Amino acid sequence: MEKVKISGYQLFVLVVLFEMGSAILLGLGSEVKQDAWIAILLGLFGGIIVFFIYYQLYKYYPDLPLTSYLQKIVGKWVGRLLGLLYIVYFMYVAARVLRDFGELLTTTIYNSTPLFIINTLMIVTIIYGVHKGFEVLARVGELYFIIIYLTAILGMLLIIFSGLIHLSNLAPILENGLNPVIKTGLTQIITFPFGEMIVITMVLPLINDKKKAKWVCLSGMVLAGINITITAVVNISVLGVDLYHRSPFPLLTTIGRIQIADFIERLDVLFMLYLVIGGFFKIAIFYYAALAGAVDVFQMKNQGKLVFPIGIIVLFASITIASNFAEFIKEGIAVTIYLSWPFQIIIPSILLTIAYFRNRKKQTSSL
Amino acid sequence: MKKWLIILLALTMTVPLLSACWNQKELTDLAFVLALGIDKGEDDMYHVSFQIVNPGNVSTGQGGGGGQGLPIAVYKSTGRTITEAARNATKKVSRRLYYAHTNLVVVSEEVAKEKNSLLHIMDGLDRDPEFRTTTELVIARDSTAEELVTTLTILDKLPVMKITKEIKATEAMLGENMSVTIDDFMNGIISTGKEPIVNGYRLVGIKEKARLAENLQTTTTDAFLAADGLAVIKDGELIDWIESNKARGVIWVLDKAKSTDITISWNGKKNGLSMVPIRSKTKVATAFKNGKPIINISIENEGWISEANTAIDLTDPKIMEKIQKLVERKIEKEVLSSVKEAQKLRCDIFGFGENVHKTNPKLWKKLESNWNDYFADLEVNVKVDSYARREGVRTKPFWSVLKFK
Repeated sequence: MEKVKISGYQLFVLVVLFEMGSAILLGLGSEVKQDAWIAILLGLFGGIIVFFIYYQLYKYYPDLPLTSYLQKIVGKWVGRLLGLLYIVYFMYVAARVLRDFGELLTTTIYNSTPLFIINTLMIVTIIYGVHKGFEVLARVGELYFIIIYLTAILGMLLIIFSGLIHLSNLAPILENGLNPVIKTGLTQIITFPFGEMIVITMVLPLINDKKKAKWVCLSGMVLAGINITITAVVNISVLGVDLYHRSPFPLLTTIGRIQIADFIERLDVLFMLYLVIGGFFKIAIFYYAALAGAVDVFQMKNQGKLVFPIGIIVLFASITIASNFAEFIKEGIAVTIYLSWPFQIIIPSILLTIAYFRNRKKQTSSL
Repeated sequence: MKKWLIILLALTMTVPLLSACWNQKELTDLAFVLALGIDKGEDDMYHVSFQIVNPGNVSTGQGGGGGQGLPIAVYKSTGRTITEAARNATKKVSRRLYYAHTNLVVVSEEVAKEKNSLLHIMDGLDRDPEFRTTTELVIARDSTAEELVTTLTILDKLPVMKITKEIKATEAMLGENMSVTIDDFMNGIISTGKEPIVNGYRLVGIKEKARLAENLQTTTTDAFLAADGLAVIKDGELIDWIESNKARGVIWVLDKAKSTDITISWNGKKNGLSMVPIRSKTKVATAFKNGKPIINISIENEGWISEANTAIDLTDPKIMEKIQKLVERKIEKEVLSSVKEAQKLRCDIFGFGENVHKTNPKLWKKLESNWNDYFADLEVNVKVDSYARREGVRTKPFWSVLKFK
């Protein structure tokens, strides 16, 4: 483990950037049409409950990352195996986000640039950032948090003043009843983006004030969740349900609609700015989690040696996981069922149960 | 020595990055397509006309003064799809066609009347990342799209600007046309509770002269472009036109009308008074009677008296009230006649269906499949509240003091 400490505010910023990351760009919950925003709020609610599992585990082992207390809870060898699986999972998600980022750029502005080049440029930047250590990422986060908020507020004002928002697009609310909304919210959105807080378990031991951890993470999640909800509401009320459903990146289409006084228009650059920043932090945090996990499981002294290999794996995985965008999206659905649920919810719940009994035994025996 | 080698290596590695963007597009290598004109030939191919700006000849102001040539150039190409036509066009244009600044798509009436032709254009435009779906869509009436796209205009050097600005101006000042973008059109096509309307444009005058530079040398141009009517699209094809006199009611229901003029008779004098609304707000609400939807349209507007060609005391509040009543009745009649017109075409261009959907999703599920037929017999009520707030910079008109009759 690195000997770095980050402040509560820095963690808060990272949680917000990480949670919003790629989630804001995609049409989250578009299956339930105009009720997507309700599904997102439900997902946030579920995500908070899931976070309490992670937090409870953290309270049992406040100085250890996930991969270390795995070994304490389920034994050395099983723990190591699980830790290894988690590392692979983190790398895979990092690769997916990198692919998302690359796909977005290649479909929109860099139509003739190969995906590989764009992904390489991004991963090189991230390798450099992670190589410099987590503290650097946290500080960069503080800076970009402000930039992102300023552009978001600017974009929001421009959308409002363009007169694009038609809240009537949100009606009728709950057209097909509550069930599909609950299903989407509590099966999909709970895992993406809120359940991805699992990587924060690798970072939590770095916080300097342990008491703050809970509120920092919760407020970060809630703020990010609200931002994502607002984005969904704006997207639906600007584009209408149909276009929200048919656009792979609805926010880009929404921003493309901004037209003020015939000269403030074509502001896609705002979106690209957000895309690069959000993508950077999301990939970087997953990347860091995989790196810290690998250092921990293989008991290496120097994490610098592993930075490049993991980066290269993430880069090549991002290219090879799917041969086209449709396949990539299809895989994403399978990921929710076969990867997100086990890694984010099922395994941590089992761990918490075992940890609970172990620690109870300890307490009673010490008495 | 080793240190220098590393520095040299690092410098060499930056070289590929220094060459900048991968797919860079230099301004001088681009041909900005301002408008697309889409026709269909007898060979069943799309004949697409690309109106391209000629940058050197557009610049205005004292310094440049504009070049000698024409501000636009039009290239034509054919293809079975729009993409094919666009790629074929590169055989004729020296630069790369660039669509990010396309502001207008003109479709000929012939194409619009055929479902397959009209809808086959849309996805290519909708999907392209470069092309903007906020582009205005217009149907060429009684002329080909090519004729519209090749016409030169006097006041605005770029013909595209003339059309797009004009639509916005009539929307704001007269209310017989309204801006319809590719997006609006697509929304209407997809929605089951709303059908799209598209502006009609006509080339008036001597068509052969429209594309000649000499068309710009006269004050009354021999050929000019004018908005004319609204095309009603049902099931993806043009079924009929709503002419200008009925169009205003449509725009009014759609809540796009900002200003217009209402002329009424006063004391037996025909066209005695004109009122100009300056603000208008339309609300459409669905009520239910015996499980059947009824549409209530309420229009509220306020304005001023812009003309009084009769002896009338405009300082009397009672008279103003009477004027308001007359104006209200006039607008009511106009809106109702537009609604009747649409009902006759069995085509819900007002989006009443969407309104029913939003207020009563359950009932909508039953009506959705044959909504347009249901719409034809729908009960529609119109209620107008007009307020004539002021009467310009004169109180009584000079007619009141005239000695002769």
